[in-house]
Amino acid sequence: MATDPDLVPADGARTEPDLCHPFLQNLPITGASVTVVNASRSQHSVCSSDSIASRVDELQFEFGEGPQWKAVATGELVVVPDMAADLHGDWPIFWSEVRQLAVGALFAVPMRMGAVTVGAVTLYRSSPGDLSPEQRSSALAIGSAIASAAVHRAMRSALDDDEDESPTSPAFRREVHQATGMILAQLNTTATIAYSRLQAYAFAHGRHIQDVARDVVNRDLTFEE
Amino acid sequence: MTKHTRETKLSAAFVKLADTLVADFDVVDLLRWLVEECTQILDTQVGGLMLVDPAGELQLVASTSEDAELVEILQLAAGEGPCLDCFRTGKPVTVGDLSTANDWPEFSRGAMSHGFHSVHATPLRLRGDVIGTMNLFSVHVGELAPEDIAVAQALADVATIGILQERTIRSSHLISEQLQFALDSRILIEQAKGVLAATAGLNMDAAFNVIRTYARNHNQTLRSVADDVIARKIDLSQDALAKKSNG
Repeated sequence: MATDPDLVPADGARTEPDLCHPFLQNLPITGASVTVVNASRSQHSVCSSDSIASRVDELQFEFGEGPQWKAVATGELVVVPDMAADLHGDWPIFWSEVRQLAVGALFAVPMRMGAVTVGAVTLYRSSPGDLSPEQRSSALAIGSAIASAAVHRAMRSALDDDEDESPTSPAFRREVHQATGMILAQLNTTATIAYSRLQAYAFAHGRHIQDVARDVVNRDLTFEE
Repeated sequence: MTKHTRETKLSAAFVKLADTLVADFDVVDLLRWLVEECTQILDTQVGGLMLVDPAGELQLVASTSEDAELVEILQLAAGEGPCLDCFRTGKPVTVGDLSTANDWPEFSRGAMSHGFHSVHATPLRLRGDVIGTMNLFSVHVGELAPEDIAVAQALADVATIGILQERTIRSSHLISEQLQFALDSRILIEQAKGVLAATAGLNMDAAFNVIRTYARNHNQTLRSVADDVIARKIDLSQDALAKKSNG
Protein backbone atom coordinates (compact mmCIF):
# COMPACT_ATOMS: atom_id res chain seq x y z
CA MET A 1 0.00 0.00 0.00
CA ALA A 2 1.36 3.40 -0.89
CA THR A 3 0.38 6.87 0.04
CA ASP A 4 1.86 10.28 -0.25
CA PRO A 5 2.21 11.59 3.32
CA ASP A 6 1.34 15.05 2.08
CA LEU A 7 -2.06 13.79 1.03
CA VAL A 8 -3.03 12.72 4.51
CA PRO A 9 -2.70 15.58 6.98
CA ALA A 10 -1.52 14.82 10.51
CA ASP A 11 -5.03 14.91 11.94
CA GLY A 12 -6.04 12.20 9.50
CA ALA A 13 -8.64 14.19 7.64
CA ARG A 14 -9.33 17.59 6.25
CA THR A 15 -12.06 19.54 7.92
CA GLU A 16 -14.40 20.10 4.98
CA PRO A 17 -17.65 18.73 6.35
CA ASP A 18 -19.98 19.46 3.44
CA LEU A 19 -19.67 16.09 1.65
CA CYS A 20 -20.43 14.27 4.91
CA HIS A 21 -23.44 16.45 5.58
CA PRO A 22 -26.00 14.78 3.27
CA PHE A 23 -25.39 11.44 5.01
CA LEU A 24 -25.78 12.96 8.46
CA GLN A 25 -28.90 14.78 7.38
CA ASN A 26 -30.68 11.85 5.77
CA LEU A 27 -29.59 8.73 7.67
CA PRO A 28 -29.77 7.61 11.32
CA ILE A 29 -26.01 7.70 11.83
CA THR A 30 -23.60 9.46 14.17
CA GLY A 31 -20.65 10.25 11.95
CA ALA A 32 -19.20 9.89 8.45
CA SER A 33 -15.87 10.01 6.64
CA VAL A 34 -15.33 10.28 2.90
CA THR A 35 -12.28 8.62 1.35
CA VAL A 36 -11.11 8.51 -2.25
CA VAL A 37 -9.13 5.39 -3.12
CA ASN A 38 -7.45 4.33 -6.32
CA ALA A 39 -6.65 0.94 -7.73
CA SER A 40 -3.20 0.83 -6.12
CA ARG A 41 -5.01 1.25 -2.81
CA SER A 42 -3.58 4.66 -2.08
CA GLN A 43 -6.05 6.65 -0.07
CA HIS A 44 -7.02 10.26 0.26
CA SER A 45 -9.23 11.36 3.14
CA VAL A 46 -11.54 14.06 1.90
CA CYS A 47 -13.49 14.83 5.06
CA SER A 48 -14.66 13.45 8.41
CA SER A 49 -17.54 14.71 10.49
CA ASP A 50 -16.00 14.00 13.91
CA SER A 51 -12.94 12.54 15.63
CA ILE A 52 -14.32 8.98 15.88
CA ALA A 53 -15.20 8.94 12.17
CA SER A 54 -11.73 10.24 11.45
CA ARG A 55 -10.14 7.53 13.66
CA VAL A 56 -12.15 4.74 11.97
CA ASP A 57 -10.97 6.05 8.62
CA GLU A 58 -7.36 6.14 9.85
CA LEU A 59 -7.52 2.57 11.19
CA GLN A 60 -8.80 1.24 7.89
CA PHE A 61 -5.94 2.93 6.14
CA GLU A 62 -3.34 1.82 8.69
CA PHE A 63 -4.30 -1.86 8.70
CA GLY A 64 -5.50 -2.08 5.11
CA GLU A 65 -8.68 -3.76 6.28
CA GLY A 66 -12.23 -2.77 7.21
CA PRO A 67 -15.59 -2.31 5.49
CA GLN A 68 -14.34 0.55 3.32
CA TRP A 69 -12.04 -1.79 1.40
CA LYS A 70 -14.81 -4.28 0.85
CA ALA A 71 -17.11 -1.54 -0.45
CA VAL A 72 -14.41 -0.36 -2.84
CA ALA A 73 -13.63 -3.89 -4.04
CA THR A 74 -17.25 -4.95 -4.58
CA GLY A 75 -18.96 -1.63 -5.40
CA GLU A 76 -21.67 -2.75 -2.93
CA LEU A 77 -22.94 -1.37 0.34
CA VAL A 78 -21.34 -3.09 3.38
CA VAL A 79 -23.40 -3.26 6.58
CA VAL A 80 -22.32 -4.20 10.09
CA PRO A 81 -25.44 -3.37 12.11
CA ASP A 82 -24.02 -4.63 15.40
CA MET A 83 -20.28 -4.49 15.98
CA ALA A 84 -20.57 -6.66 19.11
CA ALA A 85 -22.28 -9.45 17.15
CA ASP A 86 -19.99 -9.24 14.14
CA LEU A 87 -17.83 -12.29 13.59
CA HIS A 88 -14.95 -9.99 12.64
CA GLY A 89 -13.49 -12.72 10.48
CA ASP A 90 -12.97 -10.32 7.61
CA TRP A 91 -11.09 -7.66 9.53
CA PRO A 92 -9.62 -9.01 12.81
CA ILE A 93 -7.09 -6.27 13.57
CA PHE A 94 -9.33 -3.42 12.56
CA TRP A 95 -12.18 -4.90 14.64
CA SER A 96 -10.08 -5.19 17.77
CA GLU A 97 -9.14 -1.52 17.51
CA VAL A 98 -12.61 -0.22 16.64
CA ARG A 99 -14.25 -2.01 19.58
CA GLN A 100 -12.35 0.37 21.85
CA LEU A 101 -14.23 3.28 20.28
CA ALA A 102 -17.87 4.23 20.82
CA VAL A 103 -18.97 2.48 17.63
CA GLY A 104 -22.12 0.33 17.67
CA ALA A 105 -22.64 -0.13 13.93
CA LEU A 106 -20.63 0.50 10.76
CA PHE A 107 -21.62 0.95 7.12
CA ALA A 108 -19.46 1.51 4.07
CA VAL A 109 -21.03 3.14 1.02
CA PRO A 110 -19.23 2.90 -2.33
CA MET A 111 -18.85 6.14 -4.28
CA ARG A 112 -19.59 5.23 -7.88
CA MET A 113 -19.32 7.04 -11.18
CA GLY A 114 -21.05 4.65 -13.53
CA ALA A 115 -19.10 1.38 -13.32
CA VAL A 116 -16.12 3.03 -11.62
CA THR A 117 -15.80 2.94 -7.82
CA VAL A 118 -13.76 5.97 -6.78
CA GLY A 119 -13.81 5.45 -3.02
CA ALA A 120 -16.10 4.87 -0.08
CA VAL A 121 -17.90 6.67 2.70
CA THR A 122 -17.66 5.01 6.11
CA LEU A 123 -20.65 5.71 8.36
CA TYR A 124 -20.85 4.84 12.03
CA ARG A 125 -23.55 4.76 14.68
CA SER A 126 -22.72 5.09 18.37
CA SER A 127 -25.33 2.39 19.12
CA PRO A 128 -26.16 -0.78 17.14
CA GLY A 129 -28.86 -0.46 14.47
CA ASP A 130 -29.48 -1.27 10.83
CA LEU A 131 -30.50 0.84 7.82
CA SER A 132 -33.92 0.20 6.26
CA PRO A 133 -34.09 -0.73 2.55
CA GLU A 134 -35.09 2.88 1.73
CA GLN A 135 -32.19 4.22 3.79
CA ARG A 136 -29.80 1.84 2.06
CA SER A 137 -30.87 3.02 -1.35
CA SER A 138 -30.62 6.65 -0.19
CA ALA A 139 -27.09 5.96 1.08
CA LEU A 140 -26.09 4.56 -2.33
CA ALA A 141 -27.68 7.48 -4.18
CA ILE A 142 -25.88 10.01 -1.99
CA GLY A 143 -22.64 8.08 -2.51
CA SER A 144 -23.02 8.44 -6.29
CA ALA A 145 -24.12 12.05 -5.97
CA ILE A 146 -20.93 13.13 -4.16
CA ALA A 147 -18.50 10.85 -6.07
CA SER A 148 -17.32 13.32 -8.68
CA ALA A 149 -17.02 16.16 -6.17
CA ALA A 150 -14.98 13.95 -3.82
CA VAL A 151 -12.60 12.73 -6.51
CA HIS A 152 -12.23 16.23 -7.87
CA ARG A 153 -11.32 17.55 -4.45
CA ALA A 154 -8.81 14.76 -3.90
CA MET A 155 -7.23 15.36 -7.29
CA ARG A 156 -7.08 19.08 -6.82
CA SER A 157 -5.23 18.74 -3.58
CA ALA A 158 -2.94 16.02 -4.98
CA LEU A 159 -2.01 18.27 -7.91
CA ASP A 160 -1.85 21.28 -5.60
CA ASP A 161 -4.11 22.92 -8.12
CA ASP A 162 -5.90 26.05 -6.97
CA GLU A 163 -8.00 26.45 -10.06
CA ASP A 164 -11.49 27.12 -8.96
CA GLU A 165 -13.37 24.71 -11.17
CA SER A 166 -16.77 23.47 -10.24
CA PRO A 167 -16.74 19.80 -9.25
CA THR A 168 -18.54 18.48 -12.30
CA SER A 169 -17.32 20.63 -15.12
CA PRO A 170 -15.33 20.42 -17.15
CA ALA A 171 -13.42 17.65 -15.38
CA PHE A 172 -16.16 15.07 -15.65
CA ARG A 173 -17.62 15.76 -19.01
CA ARG A 174 -18.45 12.88 -21.26
CA GLU A 175 -14.93 12.35 -22.61
CA VAL A 176 -13.68 11.13 -19.23
CA HIS A 177 -16.31 8.39 -19.09
CA GLN A 178 -15.85 7.51 -22.76
CA ALA A 179 -12.06 7.31 -22.31
CA THR A 180 -12.56 5.07 -19.26
CA GLY A 181 -14.55 2.67 -21.44
CA MET A 182 -11.94 2.73 -24.19
CA ILE A 183 -9.08 2.07 -21.77
CA LEU A 184 -10.91 -0.79 -20.06
CA ALA A 185 -11.29 -2.47 -23.46
CA GLN A 186 -7.68 -1.73 -24.45
CA LEU A 187 -6.31 -3.20 -21.23
CA ASN A 188 -9.01 -5.82 -20.84
CA THR A 189 -9.59 -4.73 -17.27
CA THR A 190 -12.30 -3.25 -15.04
CA ALA A 191 -13.74 0.24 -15.26
CA THR A 192 -12.26 1.13 -11.87
CA ILE A 193 -8.74 0.17 -12.90
CA ALA A 194 -9.12 1.85 -16.30
CA TYR A 195 -10.17 5.08 -14.60
CA SER A 196 -7.20 4.82 -12.22
CA ARG A 197 -4.84 4.42 -15.13
CA LEU A 198 -6.29 7.49 -16.84
CA GLN A 199 -5.94 9.45 -13.63
CA ALA A 200 -2.38 8.21 -13.03
CA TYR A 201 -1.37 9.13 -16.57
CA ALA A 202 -2.75 12.64 -16.15
CA PHE A 203 -1.02 12.99 -12.80
CA ALA A 204 2.34 11.71 -14.06
CA HIS A 205 2.25 14.12 -17.00
CA GLY A 206 0.97 17.09 -15.01
CA ARG A 207 -2.11 17.34 -17.24
CA HIS A 208 -5.81 17.64 -16.54
CA ILE A 209 -7.74 14.40 -16.77
CA GLN A 210 -10.19 15.75 -19.35
CA ASP A 211 -7.32 16.74 -21.68
CA VAL A 212 -5.87 13.25 -21.53
CA ALA A 213 -9.38 11.80 -21.95
CA ARG A 214 -9.90 13.85 -25.09
CA ASP A 215 -6.64 12.45 -26.56
CA VAL A 216 -7.87 8.92 -25.84
CA VAL A 217 -11.27 9.58 -27.43
CA ASN A 218 -9.62 11.18 -30.48
CA ARG A 219 -7.36 8.11 -30.71
CA ASP A 220 -4.20 10.15 -30.28
CA LEU A 221 -3.32 8.17 -27.17
CA THR A 222 -3.83 4.48 -26.49
CA PHE A 223 -3.22 2.40 -23.38
CA GLU A 224 -2.80 -0.86 -25.30
CA GLU A 225 0.19 -2.87 -24.12
CA MET B 1 -46.59 19.58 -41.08
CA THR B 2 -50.34 19.87 -41.65
CA LYS B 3 -52.57 20.32 -38.69
CA HIS B 4 -54.12 16.91 -39.10
CA THR B 5 -50.93 14.80 -39.20
CA ARG B 6 -49.60 16.87 -36.38
CA GLU B 7 -52.55 16.16 -34.15
CA THR B 8 -52.38 12.50 -35.02
CA LYS B 9 -48.70 12.44 -34.11
CA LEU B 10 -49.35 14.30 -30.91
CA SER B 11 -52.05 11.98 -29.69
CA ALA B 12 -49.85 9.01 -30.66
CA ALA B 13 -47.06 10.53 -28.55
CA PHE B 14 -49.30 10.83 -25.49
CA VAL B 15 -50.54 7.28 -25.89
CA LYS B 16 -46.99 6.00 -26.18
CA LEU B 17 -45.91 8.03 -23.16
CA ALA B 18 -48.78 6.70 -21.08
CA ASP B 19 -47.92 3.13 -22.16
CA THR B 20 -44.28 3.60 -21.32
CA LEU B 21 -44.96 4.94 -17.88
CA VAL B 22 -46.85 1.88 -16.72
CA ALA B 23 -44.17 -0.54 -17.92
CA ASP B 24 -40.61 -1.02 -16.78
CA PHE B 25 -38.88 1.72 -18.71
CA ASP B 26 -35.43 3.14 -19.13
CA VAL B 27 -35.18 6.80 -18.18
CA VAL B 28 -32.54 7.72 -20.74
CA ASP B 29 -34.39 5.90 -23.51
CA LEU B 30 -37.65 7.63 -22.57
CA LEU B 31 -36.01 11.04 -22.60
CA ARG B 32 -34.34 10.38 -25.94
CA TRP B 33 -37.66 9.32 -27.38
CA LEU B 34 -39.34 12.43 -25.95
CA VAL B 35 -36.82 14.80 -27.43
CA GLU B 36 -36.99 13.07 -30.84
CA GLU B 37 -40.77 13.21 -30.80
CA CYS B 38 -40.89 16.88 -29.82
CA THR B 39 -38.32 17.75 -32.47
CA GLN B 40 -40.62 16.24 -35.11
CA ILE B 41 -43.93 17.52 -33.83
CA LEU B 42 -42.63 21.04 -33.43
CA ASP B 43 -40.80 21.03 -36.75
CA THR B 44 -37.32 21.60 -35.38
CA GLN B 45 -34.17 19.67 -36.36
CA VAL B 46 -32.25 18.71 -33.25
CA GLY B 47 -32.81 18.67 -29.52
CA GLY B 48 -31.30 17.80 -26.18
CA LEU B 49 -32.57 17.25 -22.69
CA MET B 50 -30.63 18.26 -19.60
CA LEU B 51 -31.17 17.31 -15.96
CA VAL B 52 -29.74 19.09 -12.96
CA ASP B 53 -26.93 17.28 -11.11
CA PRO B 54 -26.08 17.41 -7.38
CA ALA B 55 -23.78 20.38 -7.95
CA GLY B 56 -26.74 22.29 -9.42
CA GLU B 57 -25.37 22.14 -12.97
CA LEU B 58 -27.20 20.95 -16.06
CA GLN B 59 -25.99 17.67 -17.53
CA LEU B 60 -26.97 16.50 -20.98
CA VAL B 61 -28.86 13.22 -20.54
CA ALA B 62 -30.49 12.68 -23.94
CA SER B 63 -30.19 14.14 -27.42
CA THR B 64 -31.45 13.45 -30.93
CA SER B 65 -27.91 12.45 -31.90
CA GLU B 66 -24.76 11.69 -29.91
CA ASP B 67 -22.60 13.27 -32.56
CA ALA B 68 -19.67 15.06 -30.86
CA GLU B 69 -20.37 18.44 -32.47
CA LEU B 70 -24.01 18.48 -31.51
CA VAL B 71 -23.15 17.36 -27.98
CA GLU B 72 -20.74 20.27 -27.74
CA ILE B 73 -23.39 22.83 -28.69
CA LEU B 74 -25.81 21.28 -26.25
CA GLN B 75 -23.20 21.35 -23.49
CA LEU B 76 -22.49 24.97 -24.31
CA ALA B 77 -26.16 25.57 -23.64
CA ALA B 78 -25.66 24.31 -20.08
CA GLY B 79 -23.26 27.19 -19.42
CA GLU B 80 -25.16 30.15 -20.85
CA GLY B 81 -28.13 30.84 -23.05
CA PRO B 82 -31.89 30.40 -23.19
CA CYS B 83 -31.77 26.87 -21.75
CA LEU B 84 -30.04 28.05 -18.60
CA ASP B 85 -32.44 31.00 -18.30
CA CYS B 86 -35.34 28.59 -18.70
CA PHE B 87 -33.94 26.38 -15.96
CA ARG B 88 -33.39 29.31 -13.60
CA THR B 89 -36.82 30.87 -14.11
CA GLY B 90 -38.82 27.66 -14.62
CA LYS B 91 -40.49 29.30 -17.62
CA PRO B 92 -40.28 28.45 -21.33
CA VAL B 93 -37.92 30.62 -23.35
CA THR B 94 -38.20 30.93 -27.12
CA VAL B 95 -35.60 32.81 -29.18
CA GLY B 96 -36.79 33.33 -32.75
CA ASP B 97 -33.59 34.76 -34.13
CA LEU B 98 -30.23 34.04 -32.52
CA SER B 99 -28.47 36.68 -34.61
CA THR B 100 -30.26 39.38 -32.64
CA ALA B 101 -29.89 37.66 -29.25
CA ASN B 102 -27.14 39.67 -27.61
CA ASP B 103 -27.47 38.26 -24.11
CA TRP B 104 -25.49 35.08 -24.78
CA PRO B 105 -22.73 35.81 -27.31
CA GLU B 106 -20.81 32.54 -26.93
CA PHE B 107 -23.88 30.34 -27.09
CA SER B 108 -25.42 32.23 -30.04
CA ARG B 109 -22.17 32.13 -32.00
CA GLY B 110 -21.72 28.41 -31.34
CA ALA B 111 -25.29 27.54 -32.35
CA MET B 112 -25.22 29.72 -35.47
CA SER B 113 -21.87 28.35 -36.59
CA HIS B 114 -23.68 25.00 -36.86
CA GLY B 115 -26.52 26.49 -38.85
CA PHE B 116 -29.11 26.97 -36.10
CA HIS B 117 -31.11 30.17 -36.00
CA SER B 118 -33.72 29.66 -33.33
CA VAL B 119 -33.97 27.75 -30.06
CA HIS B 120 -36.79 26.84 -27.73
CA ALA B 121 -36.33 25.78 -24.13
CA THR B 122 -39.04 24.05 -22.09
CA PRO B 123 -38.66 23.51 -18.34
CA LEU B 124 -39.07 20.07 -16.76
CA ARG B 125 -40.83 20.89 -13.56
CA LEU B 126 -42.76 19.32 -10.79
CA ARG B 127 -44.65 21.61 -8.43
CA GLY B 128 -42.06 24.18 -7.41
CA ASP B 129 -39.00 22.22 -8.53
CA VAL B 130 -37.32 22.54 -11.89
CA ILE B 131 -35.30 19.41 -12.60
CA GLY B 132 -34.03 20.23 -16.10
CA THR B 133 -34.86 21.59 -19.53
CA MET B 134 -35.66 20.31 -23.00
CA ASN B 135 -34.06 22.34 -25.76
CA LEU B 136 -35.07 22.28 -29.42
CA PHE B 137 -32.97 23.87 -32.14
CA SER B 138 -34.16 24.95 -35.57
CA VAL B 139 -32.33 25.98 -38.73
CA HIS B 140 -35.16 28.41 -39.44
CA VAL B 141 -35.83 31.83 -37.97
CA GLY B 142 -39.07 32.16 -36.01
CA GLU B 143 -40.56 31.88 -32.54
CA LEU B 144 -42.68 28.95 -31.43
CA ALA B 145 -46.37 29.69 -31.46
CA PRO B 146 -48.08 29.72 -28.05
CA GLU B 147 -49.91 26.44 -28.83
CA ASP B 148 -46.59 24.79 -29.74
CA ILE B 149 -45.07 25.98 -26.47
CA ALA B 150 -48.04 24.43 -24.68
CA VAL B 151 -47.58 21.12 -26.54
CA ALA B 152 -43.89 20.95 -25.60
CA GLN B 153 -44.75 21.77 -22.00
CA ALA B 154 -47.44 19.10 -21.81
CA LEU B 155 -45.11 16.39 -23.12
CA ALA B 156 -42.33 17.55 -20.79
CA ASP B 157 -44.68 17.51 -17.80
CA VAL B 158 -45.75 13.94 -18.43
CA ALA B 159 -42.13 12.86 -18.87
CA THR B 160 -41.17 14.57 -15.62
CA ILE B 161 -43.80 12.61 -13.76
CA GLY B 162 -42.31 9.53 -15.44
CA ILE B 163 -38.80 10.27 -14.23
CA LEU B 164 -39.95 10.84 -10.70
CA GLN B 165 -42.66 8.23 -10.40
CA GLU B 166 -40.67 5.17 -9.40
CA ARG B 167 -41.04 6.05 -5.77
CA THR B 168 -43.75 7.95 -4.04
CA ILE B 169 -42.68 11.53 -4.13
CA ARG B 170 -42.51 12.52 -0.51
CA SER B 171 -39.64 14.94 -0.34
CA SER B 172 -37.12 16.77 -2.45
CA HIS B 173 -34.58 14.22 -1.26
CA LEU B 174 -36.37 11.37 -3.03
CA ILE B 175 -36.72 13.47 -6.14
CA SER B 176 -32.98 13.87 -6.27
CA GLU B 177 -32.50 10.12 -5.79
CA GLN B 178 -34.38 9.51 -9.05
CA LEU B 179 -32.44 12.24 -10.76
CA GLN B 180 -29.23 10.64 -9.57
CA PHE B 181 -30.33 7.36 -11.12
CA ALA B 182 -30.85 9.06 -14.49
CA LEU B 183 -27.48 10.82 -14.29
CA ASP B 184 -25.75 7.54 -13.35
CA SER B 185 -27.37 5.80 -16.32
CA ARG B 186 -25.89 8.41 -18.57
CA ILE B 187 -22.37 7.84 -17.18
CA LEU B 188 -22.72 4.07 -17.68
CA ILE B 189 -23.82 4.64 -21.27
CA GLU B 190 -20.80 6.86 -21.92
CA GLN B 191 -18.47 4.20 -20.50
CA ALA B 192 -20.12 1.52 -22.65
CA LYS B 193 -19.83 3.75 -25.74
CA GLY B 194 -16.10 3.97 -24.98
CA VAL B 195 -15.83 0.17 -24.88
CA LEU B 196 -17.45 -0.05 -28.31
CA ALA B 197 -15.36 2.80 -29.69
CA ALA B 198 -12.25 0.82 -28.74
CA THR B 199 -13.41 -2.68 -29.74
CA ALA B 200 -15.25 -1.82 -32.96
CA GLY B 201 -13.65 1.46 -33.96
CA LEU B 202 -16.97 3.33 -33.92
CA ASN B 203 -17.60 6.99 -33.30
CA MET B 204 -19.70 7.83 -30.23
CA ASP B 205 -22.99 8.32 -32.07
CA ALA B 206 -22.69 4.96 -33.85
CA ALA B 207 -21.70 3.28 -30.58
CA PHE B 208 -24.85 4.62 -28.93
CA ASN B 209 -27.02 3.34 -31.76
CA VAL B 210 -25.56 -0.16 -31.47
CA ILE B 211 -26.34 -0.18 -27.75
CA ARG B 212 -29.85 1.11 -28.34
CA THR B 213 -30.60 -1.36 -31.12
CA TYR B 214 -29.40 -4.26 -28.97
CA ALA B 215 -31.49 -3.04 -26.03
CA ARG B 216 -34.62 -2.86 -28.19
CA ASN B 217 -34.06 -6.22 -29.89
CA HIS B 218 -33.50 -7.94 -26.57
CA ASN B 219 -36.12 -6.01 -24.67
CA GLN B 220 -33.60 -4.70 -22.16
CA THR B 221 -32.96 -1.26 -20.74
CA LEU B 222 -30.08 0.85 -22.04
CA ARG B 223 -28.67 0.82 -18.55
CA SER B 224 -28.53 -2.96 -18.26
CA VAL B 225 -27.01 -3.34 -21.74
CA ALA B 226 -24.41 -0.69 -20.84
CA ASP B 227 -23.65 -2.60 -17.63
CA ASP B 228 -23.11 -5.83 -19.55
CA VAL B 229 -20.94 -4.17 -22.18
CA ILE B 230 -18.70 -2.65 -19.50
CA ALA B 231 -18.48 -5.95 -17.59
CA ARG B 232 -17.64 -7.62 -20.94
CA LYS B 233 -20.54 -10.02 -20.50
CA ILE B 234 -21.72 -9.21 -23.99
CA ASP B 235 -19.63 -8.24 -26.98
CA LEU B 236 -21.45 -5.94 -29.37
CA SER B 237 -18.50 -5.36 -31.67
CA GLN B 238 -19.89 -7.94 -34.12
CA ASP B 239 -23.29 -6.20 -34.13
CA ALA B 240 -21.40 -2.99 -34.67
CA LEU B 241 -19.44 -4.33 -37.62
CA ALA B 242 -22.59 -5.73 -39.19
CA LYS B 243 -24.27 -2.37 -38.81
CA LYS B 244 -21.25 -0.60 -40.25
CA SER B 245 -21.22 -2.74 -43.38
CA ASN B 246 -24.94 -2.21 -43.86
CA GLY B 247 -24.14 1.47 -43.99
